[in-house]
Amino acid sequence: MSDVATKPRPSLWVRYTSSSPIVVTIYALILGLVIGALIIVTTTPAVLDAWRGLFSSWNGLPHALNVSFNNVGAGYREMFTGSIVDPQGFWHSLVTGKGWPNTLTPLSETLTYATPLVIVSIGVGIAFQTGLFNIGANGQAVIGGIAGVAFGSMLHMPTIIHLPLALVAGVAGGMLCGALPGVLKAYTGAHEVIVTLMFNYVTYAFLLFMVLSTPFQQPGQSNDLSRTMDPTAVLPPLFGTKSGLRVSYGVFVAALVVLFAWWLLNRSSLGFDFRVTGANPSAARASGINARKVIVVAFLISGGLAGLAGVVQVASTTHYVDGTFLIGNAGIGFTAITVALLGRNRPIGIVWAALLFAALGVGGRNMQSTTGIPLDLATVIQSAIVLFVATPVLVKEIFRLRNVSTVGLQISTTGWGS
Amino acid sequence: MRSIRRFATVLGAGTLILGTLTLSLAATSVTASAVSKFKACVVTDTGGINDGSFNQSAYDGLKDAAKADNNISYTYLSSSASTDYAPNINQFISEKCGIIVTVGFLMDTATKNAANAHPSQKFAIVDDAPAVKKGTHVSALQYETDQAGFLGGILAAGSSKTGVVATYGGENFSAVTLYENGFVAGVRYYDLTYKKKVTVLGWTPPKVACNLNKCAGTGTFVNSFTDQTAGKSDTTAFFAEHADIVFPVAGSVGLGSVAAAKLAGAGHSIIWVDSNGCIQEKADCKYFLGTVAKGVEPSVEAAVLSAAKGTFKSGSYIGTLKNNGTALEYGGISVPSSLKAEIATAKAGIIAGTISVNPNKYPAVK
Repeated sequence: MSDVATKPRPSLWVRYTSSSPIVVTIYALILGLVIGALIIVTTTPAVLDAWRGLFSSWNGLPHALNVSFNNVGAGYREMFTGSIVDPQGFWHSLVTGKGWPNTLTPLSETLTYATPLVIVSIGVGIAFQTGLFNIGANGQAVIGGIAGVAFGSMLHMPTIIHLPLALVAGVAGGMLCGALPGVLKAYTGAHEVIVTLMFNYVTYAFLLFMVLSTPFQQPGQSNDLSRTMDPTAVLPPLFGTKSGLRVSYGVFVAALVVLFAWWLLNRSSLGFDFRVTGANPSAARASGINARKVIVVAFLISGGLAGLAGVVQVASTTHYVDGTFLIGNAGIGFTAITVALLGRNRPIGIVWAALLFAALGVGGRNMQSTTGIPLDLATVIQSAIVLFVATPVLVKEIFRLRNVSTVGLQISTTGWGS
Repeated sequence: MRSIRRFATVLGAGTLILGTLTLSLAATSVTASAVSKFKACVVTDTGGINDGSFNQSAYDGLKDAAKADNNISYTYLSSSASTDYAPNINQFISEKCGIIVTVGFLMDTATKNAANAHPSQKFAIVDDAPAVKKGTHVSALQYETDQAGFLGGILAAGSSKTGVVATYGGENFSAVTLYENGFVAGVRYYDLTYKKKVTVLGWTPPKVACNLNKCAGTGTFVNSFTDQTAGKSDTTAFFAEHADIVFPVAGSVGLGSVAAAKLAGAGHSIIWVDSNGCIQEKADCKYFLGTVAKGVEPSVEAAVLSAAKGTFKSGSYIGTLKNNGTALEYGGISVPSSLKAEIATAKAGIIAGTISVNPNKYPAVK
């Protein structure tokens, strides 16, 4: 980067054909969408039928190509209109002033999904920057959700105390759950990947136990359902309940987390210690950084943020937890690992990555219901993008990018070795 | 030379993006013509449309309706977790679906909220009767599955060689446990009537009589409708306790039981649930003694057709043995005709009201 800084600003052309991290990410995005298009073409029955008729008439090829592009186009168009905005509806609302809730629903849904994802991904990202793999973010978020619902449903007090209390309870729950692997790593050398990964199962079992036992289970219900949070403890919808838009005040919580993470990593001495430890643990130790303290504190912060994400998720959507809370496809703690990688562990990068992932997921729903292309395509695109981001050399070769710098291209993976 | 190649690459990428955008816009007009059709939409639970059980039955009900009426188109959204229920329903409301079918008791709250917020939207919910406000359009499809479960209990008790049969559920709520309650009643009825000693594992009926909305006993639950591994290990455990027939009431989890029966070898069989196992899971037909079926498919079809015709009726539909809303269907294992006759007698008795399906009426044989 330093030689770029000293020379005059490079032309646009040079910048967009060089392998800077942002350029590689953009090209990875394009490649992900191309792979998604290939999958639509090879799995949609209508498209396959068109290709089968390739030699049956003189215009077989143009017809097949036309059908292919139509289906791919329809799929991505529905993904866009379902996650960001439908231009037609937007124009209609702008001209007539009516139907704003409907027009804003896709964006609101994307933000609703992105909010907890941003928080938990920043937690994972901070651990990554310290050279620690926190694979247990999902479990920490589950504990955070349980703690938030417990405090939000079993205590009764005014909003001004109740809501912060529920959020703090979530953070504390996540911290507790994150501190254990941290302490084990710092004092016994137990590998954090193994410990956090296994801890996920412990938390799932704990969740099932909680939602099926008396004080926490919804009274009068015999299946796995928790009590519902008091209205005083939930994050209310940003535009009121009447609007039907689900986006909640949680976005401000997420914004605060982003600010905090940026300050921590770039402006505080603790964050400096984190980054030095992540870049070179031996050098950090040699220069007098207390490695044990760094590990434990990094895990406390990472777990705390994951717990906060769990409680934000509950408090802004369902207001209760059940046996499937954050299990399987809904496991934002696992998605967070890929989001943090895509965002290169930087708070702002993570915000964009989380928005992209949320948009793909939410848009995928619209795509499935209108075109019949399965929602799983969104997951495939997400995975492909991360794969390409994680292998910058491949992207560089495909697009024949100039090799300006590799600083920032390397993704920290020291956690496995140290 | 290299710069030319680079130029070509960027040009190619640019064309691809522009082309996609143009075609997307062009495609807008293509789909617009299809909107005039009546749209039937189903939100499935986590099992998805290929669970070989009630989610699939509901989706098949939509397909049947579309076959019967050309003006009906259908689509689905599956939920990957309970957090998806509300957004999935909202998605369909914004798509102006003629009727939205929600599948399962777990969608009670989401369906109720959506119906109260959109009173003119037609809903049909399978296995549940949400407490909605007046003026909403919700058809609650429920099934007295304890009646067919009772017949399944007789089938199991009459076929068991070891004198032990078992059942387990997906989750402890009435849409599941009603089956099991009837099953236990059937086994006990068989013991009393024909002086046998067959015990049932996996479900202890509650003291009070069950109804469609409450049946809170205790028993074995896998707490999932998708986790086949759990179904397999629970079934293996039942086999270890000398059970030879297992009745899983947990949707696709039952496939785990089939796997366990395959491992356990000859003499172990499964009673399938919801929709005929020999049709939904053809390859495994030889492991099925029978199916305790629930008429989800025909009742969903009827609801969709009536909504399309404008004769939609809100309120509750209750499937019984009498109206074929629930039934016992035989599977790939042959059943002696004497047992079939006993089951037919019991069926007639239940329809006539002379035989109760409440297990508390039949003291367990010690």
